[in-house]
Amino acid sequence: MTRYIKRHSLQARLTHDIFVISCILLAITGLFVFVAPLTALVPAEAVFVMRMAHRVLGVIFTVVPLISAIIAPRGVLHMLKNYTAKWDKDDVTFIKRFVPYMLGPKRVHMPDQHEVKSGQRIADGMLIVLSLLMIVSGLMLMLGGSSIKMVALFLHDLGFLGLAVFGLAHIYLGLGVFQPYRRTARLMFGDGTVSESDALYHWGHWAREELESGKNIIEKE
Amino acid sequence: MADFAIYFDSSKCVGCKGCQAACKNWNLLPSPLGLNANEPTGSYQSPRDLNGDTRLLMRFEEHDADAEDTGRKWGIEWSIGRRSCMHCIDPACAAVCPSGALSVDPDTGFVRVREQDCIGCHYCSGACPFGVPHYHRDGTKINKCTACLDRIENGRGPHLGDIGQFNVPACVHTCPPGALAYGERDEMLRKAHQRVEVLKAKGFQKASVYGENELSGLHVIYVLKYESETYGLPKDPQVGALVGAVDVMKPLTGLAAAATVAGLAASFLTGMGYKRHELRYDQKTHETIDVQTGEVLQTVSTTGEKE
Repeated sequence: MTRYIKRHSLQARLTHDIFVISCILLAITGLFVFVAPLTALVPAEAVFVMRMAHRVLGVIFTVVPLISAIIAPRGVLHMLKNYTAKWDKDDVTFIKRFVPYMLGPKRVHMPDQHEVKSGQRIADGMLIVLSLLMIVSGLMLMLGGSSIKMVALFLHDLGFLGLAVFGLAHIYLGLGVFQPYRRTARLMFGDGTVSESDALYHWGHWAREELESGKNIIEKE
Repeated sequence: MADFAIYFDSSKCVGCKGCQAACKNWNLLPSPLGLNANEPTGSYQSPRDLNGDTRLLMRFEEHDADAEDTGRKWGIEWSIGRRSCMHCIDPACAAVCPSGALSVDPDTGFVRVREQDCIGCHYCSGACPFGVPHYHRDGTKINKCTACLDRIENGRGPHLGDIGQFNVPACVHTCPPGALAYGERDEMLRKAHQRVEVLKAKGFQKASVYGENELSGLHVIYVLKYESETYGLPKDPQVGALVGAVDVMKPLTGLAAAATVAGLAASFLTGMGYKRHELRYDQKTHETIDVQTGEVLQTVSTTGEKE
């Protein structure tokens, strides 16, 4: 029997997954407006359809997390508490070792972490801020007059640059392409649980607290 | 590349609006037919501004006589202006157009429109320092002056060898007093400067040529009797700094994404062969144990202190 810790609720997983899928589709449809050679590859009508799809996806991208936050305000507060938590020595060490660790996980070892790693707080925090920037600038592009169009376009492009960088890194780690992060995909795309071993490796402080309390522990074959 | 230009002499324009009608006629652009369908402007000007069906608009501006300029102390003056695409030599609209619907015509220097390629993003409207590009009523296709390149190319035009009336844009062809002309840009500039000298000699001290140096040059050359602002033309038009920034964002994003992928690929390669031992926690002894070796990796006391 292996012990698992329940980490993400079904609602959190659904919100995340719908948000991620809409984000990826937004990037694909947006690229046909952003990259001229791609635009030239397909007929203008197809680009038009993509632009309209981009808007519909933009609504999903905006509304789904909003509804989820309204349904579960305590979850939002819990998230905010984790992301704004005071940094301790381990958090600082984690950041200092991050690049060497990414380029040499066999020899560099990371310190224990709380429920949200300090690196996660920066990277995921940036994803949240950049997503908000995309939503606001997207609305400005869609509804604003020509006087604010260039400002909105610049902000949208800036947001996309940031999302491309942080999004690629998030996919690399979140999907478990990076060897030490194997099996992390199940957290958001699976049943939301994490094995005792993985939890101790990634979030040592949090894992011990959970295992001590026993509240969110389940045992599976 | 030859540089051509449309010449407009405001001092010769009689405000007949024949050019505005000819533009609509040639380009098959509808006009509202209902009673008072266009919002009244208080002058002969109609409609109020360029729109999805109007590429060329004659502006009527009434202002008090300027004694410093013309020596007239009383009465009013009329500035009859021409509002349409300026066909900038370095067009901001074409720079931000993602689909290539707007481009510089290599034979004439005018800003060519390929309506079928327009994806309706409206970026050109935001980039144009004159606020010229508008969209057809459904908002999906740009509508702006094409300098009648279709007409000129079929009539061959001065740069290809004239064959009759179609060698000039429709507005130019129809102008009764000859306020509009079409030809090589240098020739149009020469003509404009000569005319300004005549106007100055007649007492219009603020007469000027507009379009020679503004925004590094335009392909519409104006002869203005009065100050440019009275014709709705900004004195020193500027392309917004963000137009250049938006242009930089695309290669920058490509570069940043490529660098990220390269970094992640390096990370993946260095992590190959990595295998992690399973861990277990004993909450009674507070020990974190390596399952494979049985080694106690860490003991955390109840106060949270590591041992």
